[in-house]
Amino acid sequence: MKDRVAVIGIGCTKFGDRFERSYEELICDAAFEAYADAGIDPSEIEAAYLGTYLPGPGGGKAAVSLADALRLYDRPITRVENYCATGTDAFRNGCLAIASGTYDIVLVLGAEKLKDRGGRGIPRLGHPLLARGNTAPGLFALAANRYIHTFGLRRETLAKVAVKNHRNGARNPKAHLRMEVTEEQVLKAPIIAWPFGLFDCCPTTDGAAAAIICRADLAKRFKKAPVLVKGAGLAVTSGRPYFDPTFDYLGFRSTQAAAEQAYAMAGIAASDIDFAEVHDCFTWTEISNIEDLGFCRKGEGGKLEEEGQTALDGPRPINPSGGLKSFGHPIGASGVRMITECVTQLRGEAGERQVKDPELGLAHNVGGPGAVSCVVVLGQG
Amino acid sequence: MVGIIRTGAYFPRRRLDRALIGKAWGTRVPPGTRTVAGLDEDALTMATDAVLACLGEGDPGRYDALYFASTSSPYGEKQVASVIATAVDLPREVAVADLGGSVRAGLGALRAALDGVRAGSHRAALVVAADVRRVEPESELEPLLGDGALAVAVGQDDVVAELVTTASVSEEFTYVFRTDEQRYLQVSEPRFGATYGYARDMGDAIALALRRAELPPARVAKLALAAPDARTAADAARRAGCEPGQLETSLGSEVGVLGTAEPLALLARSLETATPGDFLLAGAYGEGADVLVFRATERLPAARPRPLAERLARGLPVPSYERFLRAHAVLPGESIGEPVTSMIEWKELKQNVRLYGSRCESCGLVQYPQARVCLGCRSRDRMADHKLGKRGSIFTFTIDNLAPVPEHPLPMAVVDLEGGGRLYLQVTDAADGEVKVGTPVELTFRRLHEAGGNRYYFWKARPLEAR
Repeated sequence: MKDRVAVIGIGCTKFGDRFERSYEELICDAAFEAYADAGIDPSEIEAAYLGTYLPGPGGGKAAVSLADALRLYDRPITRVENYCATGTDAFRNGCLAIASGTYDIVLVLGAEKLKDRGGRGIPRLGHPLLARGNTAPGLFALAANRYIHTFGLRRETLAKVAVKNHRNGARNPKAHLRMEVTEEQVLKAPIIAWPFGLFDCCPTTDGAAAAIICRADLAKRFKKAPVLVKGAGLAVTSGRPYFDPTFDYLGFRSTQAAAEQAYAMAGIAASDIDFAEVHDCFTWTEISNIEDLGFCRKGEGGKLEEEGQTALDGPRPINPSGGLKSFGHPIGASGVRMITECVTQLRGEAGERQVKDPELGLAHNVGGPGAVSCVVVLGQG
Repeated sequence: MVGIIRTGAYFPRRRLDRALIGKAWGTRVPPGTRTVAGLDEDALTMATDAVLACLGEGDPGRYDALYFASTSSPYGEKQVASVIATAVDLPREVAVADLGGSVRAGLGALRAALDGVRAGSHRAALVVAADVRRVEPESELEPLLGDGALAVAVGQDDVVAELVTTASVSEEFTYVFRTDEQRYLQVSEPRFGATYGYARDMGDAIALALRRAELPPARVAKLALAAPDARTAADAARRAGCEPGQLETSLGSEVGVLGTAEPLALLARSLETATPGDFLLAGAYGEGADVLVFRATERLPAARPRPLAERLARGLPVPSYERFLRAHAVLPGESIGEPVTSMIEWKELKQNVRLYGSRCESCGLVQYPQARVCLGCRSRDRMADHKLGKRGSIFTFTIDNLAPVPEHPLPMAVVDLEGGGRLYLQVTDAADGEVKVGTPVELTFRRLHEAGGNRYYFWKARPLEAR
């Protein structure tokens, strides 16, 4: 698939508490922004992939939600759902459809309306008895506490991740939480699930993001300089890691495997990546992710954060967009939103938060926690 | 020889300082504490804990009957004894009965079980009594009652206390009652009831039992009488020709009055110190009285029950009177959850209630939930049912403030079990700082949530008692 698919248009709504916009309206905003960015007419879309994790009262159960929102009828549309990797996996599926030679132009769109669900937008799922009492922060905290027990990570280091991502997000007009925070604020915030305080957690967010992709050899016809898909990987492990007596809880094998696939496809090593949008649903997750993605050895992620190596002006910026932490996390939209950030950075259009001269960017989602990971590598055309 | 084989006690870890009740209402209360069942506890869960304590490492397959006694069963109609029998993994071929009506039901259940063994209906039987009796806030009873459960195993082999005789009197008397529409216990004319109800009936039943056993009152080593207070118990003893000094000490100052479990708890306490040949007498009241006479056997010194005092060590203070009211469902607590359909419950019964995992016959890995393809070696359908151990240690944990449960924080833990297998469970009854990597825990069957008008139970972990 390497270099056979190009991203020619991107769109992304303002992320946040979008009570004034319906699920379908968010889809509409993201899609038409992408059409305009690519300079194409909607009728040119041959197929589409919709990523939504949780269907809600406003839609999202099947591909019809995308069809109705955009009046995009009489063509193949598929809804993709794969936990928090939903968005990147929808993108990966769109790329496979182009690479197979079946379609020339495909729309990938991730949308999520968490806030309209009530209950502060917090998803509640799973077996009615087994694992009851689990929450997203609580599940990732199980890993964080084992990691802390093993490697001696401090909460101050976790806080540095939040401070950095809020600093980046404050420079991003579409981010959900556009304020900087201090380490002291992060450390003093109420505990959500130990060791995570409020500012160690990403918010629940509404939003949609879109990417229009096409056959790389046709990409020059469109408005913007194309960004090429270099590689993509997806790996699924147990959705019940807490019942697996062999699991060490120090990182996620799914991320390691998905990255290996993507790097092999791209013919690169982790060290070749210039910047990455990684799944920082919680501060610890970013630290573990950069280890699992191969940017450093297991146990050393905290050191990278402390040394500022992940900062916007560091050697390999992590989450220049502000990440899930600051940009927000409308689950199915997040992965596609990461693709739009990678494309923006590679085009050199990121303004205040522009990474210096990047050639290769990476987008990564992990959900489950650790059950599903998707990695996409994008590069200059 | 028919009699008691073992006993097992369960007391909630939480203790309410009675002074908090006095402070809340500006009333005089007796000194001491009372036990308080947590929000996730009821007569069913406490009874299950007591039966597990009674079984110990023993084989549950030995028992073919289980009697459950309570006046505060979580169900008005449902065979709770069957739920307990399943949770403690008794065989399906087991006779059960739920008894209630008055606090006499605990001793009544013991008599029925012993009679069942004597008649040859049961090989060996388990009797368990448990109560979380609700009383009106500010009532005199409020500081006096306690929550807890007591289980007794009876049979023909390994008997530590042989049944000698029984005696009963029964006659209508209005004293303690609760109609089917009342939430709280009613007490009519306490002093009159204690004297003309309790002491009269109990005294007569004791006297009758002693006559039947051809036993002079002075020969009784201990009187394990469930009584409203010490003075009334003494009145009953004297009426039968016994001395107040023969009364077993009540658990009142630390636990409170237990309800159906009370006479069984006092009897268990008597077994802690009795010597072979001692006569022990247990009595319970409720519109009449039941008395059972036992004689300690030569086997007792080598098979004494675990002292109740040990089970009462490590109490956790209930921080406020309001928390007590919520624990007793006087103040509402919201728990969000979905109903477990009866189809899922049935399909997963062995896994969820009997708590069986799978053990791969190819590679030996114990895994939960039950599966067909092995997590370790990917073999298909090489699984054997594996009964999970009930002790383990915390591999990792969190302390959660977001989960939809009525009280926060909620500790959650990944627990590696002795004998293999790993579970992810809510942690209950933990003191601050107890939930951490490496903490030894044991499993306890608790009420997980309510939904769709029903109650759902599952296993939780609690810090292991020092042994």
